[in-house]
Amino acid sequence: MISAIRMHLQGIKTALAVRMAYRADFFISAFIMLISEFFGPLLTYLIYSNESSIPGWSMYEVLLIQGIFLLAKGISFPFFFGMVWNVLERVQNGTFDLILIKPRSVLQLVIVTGFDSEDLGKLLGGVALFAVALYHLPPAEPLQWLTFAVLFMISLIVMFGFGVILAGLGIVWIGNYRVYEIFSSITNFGMYPAPIFPKLLQTIITSVIPVAMLGFIPASALLGKPTENTLYAIIISFVFLFASLLFWKTMLRKYTSAGG
Amino acid sequence: MIGSEHKPKSIILKQLNILKATALATYKDWAAYRSHLAVSIFVGPVTFLVQIFIWNAVYSAENRLDSTLSGLTLNQMLAYFGIATTINYLIYDSADWDLQTLIRTGNFITFMLRPVSHCYFAFCEKIGHRLLALWVEFIPVYLLFLFVFKINLIPANLVWTLISISLGFVLMFLINYCIGITGFWLTKTEGLRRAFLVLRDLCAGALVPLTLFPDFIQKILFFLPFQFVAYVPTRVFIGSYELAGISLSVPCVVGMQAVAVVVMFLVYKLLWYLGIKKFTGVGA
Repeated sequence: MISAIRMHLQGIKTALAVRMAYRADFFISAFIMLISEFFGPLLTYLIYSNESSIPGWSMYEVLLIQGIFLLAKGISFPFFFGMVWNVLERVQNGTFDLILIKPRSVLQLVIVTGFDSEDLGKLLGGVALFAVALYHLPPAEPLQWLTFAVLFMISLIVMFGFGVILAGLGIVWIGNYRVYEIFSSITNFGMYPAPIFPKLLQTIITSVIPVAMLGFIPASALLGKPTENTLYAIIISFVFLFASLLFWKTMLRKYTSAGG
Repeated sequence: MIGSEHKPKSIILKQLNILKATALATYKDWAAYRSHLAVSIFVGPVTFLVQIFIWNAVYSAENRLDSTLSGLTLNQMLAYFGIATTINYLIYDSADWDLQTLIRTGNFITFMLRPVSHCYFAFCEKIGHRLLALWVEFIPVYLLFLFVFKINLIPANLVWTLISISLGFVLMFLINYCIGITGFWLTKTEGLRRAFLVLRDLCAGALVPLTLFPDFIQKILFFLPFQFVAYVPTRVFIGSYELAGISLSVPCVVGMQAVAVVVMFLVYKLLWYLGIKKFTGVGA
């Protein structure tokens, strides 16, 4: 375990050192990563500033959902979601083989070598949006904070599951960087209050593909508006994680080393 | 024989041959990766589905279903997003990325030895790429929006719409190509490129209708060229134009779009003239 953490820290250190060769570009990229994630919150702001609303939800409640979503992205994208790009690039270039011959878990190595420092901008944006939304909302009880903390950890597990599935796809779908768009389009459903969706869709995003766990469910817990299927969503999140790991192993077996 | 090569007719024929050969080669090249483009058949409708539920919820609040928001009814709002999405498949461009990669890797030097302008070559590549996207992305998503989501995707005036989309196609290319030219000055320009793209998409109305922005921002957007990339073709498709409280007729706004294309072409010429002197071919 200590060895794994040490390896991860070394990976972060190396990635940062490489990226600092072009400092100006790094800071611009990190800033842009922050800005480019603000489309959802911008739309929310524009809706409410035009004297409209999403029924039953104040602007800061919706922004809280989006802040938590961005926070989950801000932690997962730099620290482990980089595995998606890493696998796509390595399989396309033929350097994925180098990972396979090393005496470590392949998944661990693609995570360690895939640290994406630019995405720290997302984390900064998530923290800022979360703080602004919280500032304008009534303070939460300690129990609500505790529930939120547990659910937020589970949201990171769901993010990890998505990362593993997309990385697995990258092994067989050579060089298709548009898998990120597939991810964004699906997870969009987690950025808005679930009650705006029809019942069937609400069931899908909580009990089949738990995207509601990425923003809506943790935010509801913090707001003291617990949702009906939270327990289901927690169980499904773990099932989703195991299914993603199974998918990864299956895809890894299909790897043919045809790139380069 | 040499004299005939300089006749206008033979020059046009030569350019058409280059266009045909490059577009066809790009089409065949990308046809091998058509599943990459086909991702849009999933992403477009799923993203649009979220928009449908958001706007239905917004308009249903306080029984606003028959009223307008920033001058748009619910159906017009959904049509805007549907039209903007499908038009984007026709005008999408990656000339900035391609040119910057060529400059950074030094491979651009091979284009300096070719008897064809790189800008024209890149434009022909875009035509080939978008011809493939026409049937892999545009037509399937258009039909899905039209028949599954019941979005009104029939242009108010087909001729003006085609002219406006064509001008948007050229303008998108010129803007992106100018972003690509910055690669002559900067070693690594990925951050700057992304910054421009975010600014462009936001100011072009590709993400939200520009009329949703506060008045003072609309006034600024009115004087920027970005609205002519996506907002104007979308409004021409709908059949009416309004921004910053200014309503213009369709021919008038398409005329302004044509002027924007000419201005952008002059900007490209200037940037190219200054930038090409900086190219050293390092990395080739």
